[in-house]
Amino acid sequence: MEAFDQLLAQAPARIDLAGDLDALATLEAELVGKKSLIAETRRGLGRLPAEERPVVGARVHEVLRSLQELLDHRRSVLERVAEDRLLEQDRVDVSLGGYEPSIGMHHILTQTVDEVVDIFTGLGYRVASGPEVELAWYNFDALNTPPTHPSRLESDTLYVEYGDPSDEMLLRTHTSPMQARYMEQNDPPVYVVVPGRTFRADALDPTHSPVFYQIEGLAVDENITFGDLKGTLAHFAREFFGSERKIRLMPHFFPFTEPSAEMHMSCYACDGSGCRVCSGSGWIELIGCGMVDPNVLDAVGYDSSKLSGFAFGMGAERMAMVRHGINHIKHFYENDIRVLRQFT
Amino acid sequence: MKLSLRWLKEYVDIPTDDPLEIEGVFASLGHEVEGFEVLEVPFSKVTVGRVVEIEKHPNADRLRFCRVDLGDGDLHEIVCGAWNFETGDIVAVSVPGAVLAGGLEVGVRTIRGVTSHGMICSAAELGLGDDHSGIMVLDPDTPLGADFAGFVPFPDVVYDVSITPNRPDAMSVIGLAREFAAYYRTEVRMPESKPVTIDRPSPVEVTIEDTKGCPRYVGWQVDGVKIAPSPIWMQQRLRASEVRPINNVVDITNYVLLELGQPLHGFDLDEVADHKIVVRRARTGETLKTLDGVDRELDVLDLMICDGRGIVAFAGIMGGEESEVTDSTSRVLIEAANFHPPSVMFSSKRHGLRTEASARFERGVDPNLPALAAGRAAHLMVELAGGEALADVRDCYPSVIEPWTVDLDVGEVERILGVPFDRDAVVDLLSRFRMEVEGDSPLRVTVPTNRPDLTRPADLIEEIARLHGYDKFPETLPSGPAGGLSTSQVRDRRVREIMVGLGMHEAQTMTFLGRSELDALALPDDDPRRAAIRVRNPLREEEAYLRTTLLPNLLKAVQYNVSHGLSHVSLFEVGKVFLSAPDPDDPRVPDQPIHLAFIAVGDTGARGLHSTPRATDVYTSTGIVQALFDRLGLQVRIRQAAPAGFHPGRAAEVLLAEEVIGTIGELHPAVGRAFGIEGRVAAGELMLAPLLADDDWWQLEAPSTYPRVEFDLAFVLEERTAASAVVQAIQAAAGDWLESVTVFDEFRGESIGEGRKSLALRLVFRAPDHTLTNEEVAPHRETIISAVAEVTGGQLRGV
Repeated sequence: MEAFDQLLAQAPARIDLAGDLDALATLEAELVGKKSLIAETRRGLGRLPAEERPVVGARVHEVLRSLQELLDHRRSVLERVAEDRLLEQDRVDVSLGGYEPSIGMHHILTQTVDEVVDIFTGLGYRVASGPEVELAWYNFDALNTPPTHPSRLESDTLYVEYGDPSDEMLLRTHTSPMQARYMEQNDPPVYVVVPGRTFRADALDPTHSPVFYQIEGLAVDENITFGDLKGTLAHFAREFFGSERKIRLMPHFFPFTEPSAEMHMSCYACDGSGCRVCSGSGWIELIGCGMVDPNVLDAVGYDSSKLSGFAFGMGAERMAMVRHGINHIKHFYENDIRVLRQFT
Repeated sequence: MKLSLRWLKEYVDIPTDDPLEIEGVFASLGHEVEGFEVLEVPFSKVTVGRVVEIEKHPNADRLRFCRVDLGDGDLHEIVCGAWNFETGDIVAVSVPGAVLAGGLEVGVRTIRGVTSHGMICSAAELGLGDDHSGIMVLDPDTPLGADFAGFVPFPDVVYDVSITPNRPDAMSVIGLAREFAAYYRTEVRMPESKPVTIDRPSPVEVTIEDTKGCPRYVGWQVDGVKIAPSPIWMQQRLRASEVRPINNVVDITNYVLLELGQPLHGFDLDEVADHKIVVRRARTGETLKTLDGVDRELDVLDLMICDGRGIVAFAGIMGGEESEVTDSTSRVLIEAANFHPPSVMFSSKRHGLRTEASARFERGVDPNLPALAAGRAAHLMVELAGGEALADVRDCYPSVIEPWTVDLDVGEVERILGVPFDRDAVVDLLSRFRMEVEGDSPLRVTVPTNRPDLTRPADLIEEIARLHGYDKFPETLPSGPAGGLSTSQVRDRRVREIMVGLGMHEAQTMTFLGRSELDALALPDDDPRRAAIRVRNPLREEEAYLRTTLLPNLLKAVQYNVSHGLSHVSLFEVGKVFLSAPDPDDPRVPDQPIHLAFIAVGDTGARGLHSTPRATDVYTSTGIVQALFDRLGLQVRIRQAAPAGFHPGRAAEVLLAEEVIGTIGELHPAVGRAFGIEGRVAAGELMLAPLLADDDWWQLEAPSTYPRVEFDLAFVLEERTAASAVVQAIQAAAGDWLESVTVFDEFRGESIGEGRKSLALRLVFRAPDHTLTNEEVAPHRETIISAVAEVTGGQLRGV
């Protein structure tokens, strides 16, 4: 029993001296292994007198547990040290590039269109699309545009050679023909946005492109008012350009709305005090709009004495140009990945 | 149009001088100001003086030495190079210290040995015109010694106002003055339009042959005009409106056009043969040399003004050379007519002639304005050109156009605008726009004839809203529609998201193609994609056709990126193509299906130092399509094929429910080269609609919790046997427990013989309800082997 006391007294220092896991294993074999004093004493328990046996047995168990605790603790320390050393060797320069998965980007125009559409679906609008090669009737006549209107000239509108020459066919100059088509196909109430490509006989310059995107909005119902138009566009401006935006409507002219207006928005960059973005005016011209002309409603068989509505049309490129400081419309159609990548 | 604020203020009181505030009023009335320019007095310290003596310059023949009285008791000695003035003339004199237009400071200078204490100024030196030819001789009543700044039309503000096409009445100073008068609740001061006349019969005969094209023609004769420059104030106003001053008579016609909005023409009456004016359509073969010096061949729809000999002017657009007013003109015939807008528009477009006159007639000029405007011009010719206006005026106006009425229900105003307006408010607003309102319900509104845009209640409601102020309406939202994206619209977005997730950038390319791009695709002559719809008036021949395929423009976009140094480019586009077949939903228009196309070149895969790039090839295409359809939950079949434009051995058709919906693969190397792209080009083009079809909701298949049994099989096959055929044979024969079958090796070698290949496949079996044993699976193995042999002729390898 004294040997045990001695063993216990020396063990902590000896165990702590074990410098690595191998040394600890050797020491463990000596202290608690098959040939250790503990193991031998255990094996000899049967030979002890019956009255001593419980006392010695308890003592052996106690010593063994103490030693094992010391050894286990030391082992966990040494294991951690060993792993630390391995990890230190495993060190790399994380500033080197990672395995970057290639993920593409949605085109800035699609992003813009989707974002605008989502604002209006949030207000309960549906989404429609229509033909890009369109009958002149839908593009002009159904929209109260007189046969002599200059926008019909070949200098403004691209016509296509297709079908019966008496049904003049063109590349739609705005998304507004879908006003008539949608109302022909759907009963009121109508709340719809129509995003899509539109075309003009304009050569590419910083603000013009023969191909561009418009997003048309149309709401026709009982009791739709000019105030509703104003409130709807104000909501849009705040969602898309920031909650601080104010809008104003200025009288304007379109053949298919009456009253007609142009929506101006307080400049997001200077909040109306005047800066480069808004050419010093504090306001940015954004959207053509107005109350649907009764002739347009009557042309599709809607009763203009009971129904009223508003319509608006915005350029998707314009929205993106204003918001992102894009100064040339070519950036939308060159598909330069160095440009596309910038818009997340 | 551009106009001078001083001019505008002559007709209406505007209670502010702040240019920005005035701009705001223009804009709130719907007349957008594109910009404005503040014009200050262009000189300082210029005094009115009288030339007292003129002597020859002792040392220079071309110069004169003058003594000038500036009213200060001294005689100022000034050397002057101009010869157009005499002793006693009143002139503008800049004394030392004065600053002239352009910033020149006047000092005491010695000119050829004679000291000059200032300058006698020309119009150009004072910024009052372009005339450098002589000094400016002033009105003899100009007070001596006064600061000349008090006699020039400065300071001023010139506004550039954009007038919407529905408002021809506002294309004039008086028209805009009326808008301001309505806004500020005041009256317009009309200019004097009743000349002092003399009773002498006029020999002029006016005949209108085409009263539709010309509803009215007023001819007013003014005799004895003396052609000279017009006064500075008039020149300044014309110049502000970007009209070049010519002489007093021509300037007066232009001035009245800008002032009242009635285009006028001045004929030299002595050049009008037989004093006859006939308004008629041109005849085939007739020509006219217009004032711009161009000989024009006329169309039978062109409306002309003729005299006893022939054509003298293009009605409503431009005069002819022969009868124009010249320096020797003394008898003037003022033409103030009304022309049918479509007629003027037709001729103006056809001949590419746009003038201040045509711009107004195209939109519609008040038919009741000509007499007033002709009177105004005659008055000015009497006052400013010394003319005698004859009282004997021609006015052909066969059917007088009267003001019309519009019935307006007051309740309708609130229904559209959303804000209550009572009768008094409506009457107030409309009458400020010069409308007469009677009655109660409805209101009977009489519209003046200069407002052709006001014919319906909606038009009047706009006027009410405009004058009330758009900014006074509240912001409200319509109540409670229900909407959102349709299933196919959601799936459309999902397609794009998957493509983006597959590492492709979305592109938006132009809708137009040139013939050469279709040729470059190497399509056979009868390929429907060659039957592209042509644009009748293309901007350029390279943009003369509508795309039948997205690939050419996408290839150009890829090439653009490659040429800017990108080693890997992978683009996709979703967009319409245009086919010559009719649209199934609306046969009046061509079919315009939406396609999804993609192109990838260069090494693909993860980027980064330790990443291994992978070359792009046909498997890039098949992999993209497989992944896309898999993520959409669609069973796609890729069937080897040789579609036009593709590599004959590395392309396929894409089938969905046994319908071919597109082609994918590697493009033919010649096609890549035609677009300037080297190396393998992975590409594909699919119809989008089949991918968006609205199918039933997917029902969960819970994954089995039991372990799997797997084994490998290798088959020796003929070279041309498709791996997919083997896989399909296995799938058909393997029974319900087959979880997956994957080709993991492809081998060719002597051991299996020439023209053959070996495919190794891993088959995984798993039951949903118990642990499979090898014994259970073994019979399937045998069935599979014989099925593969039967379907493909493949023999189990190594048996």
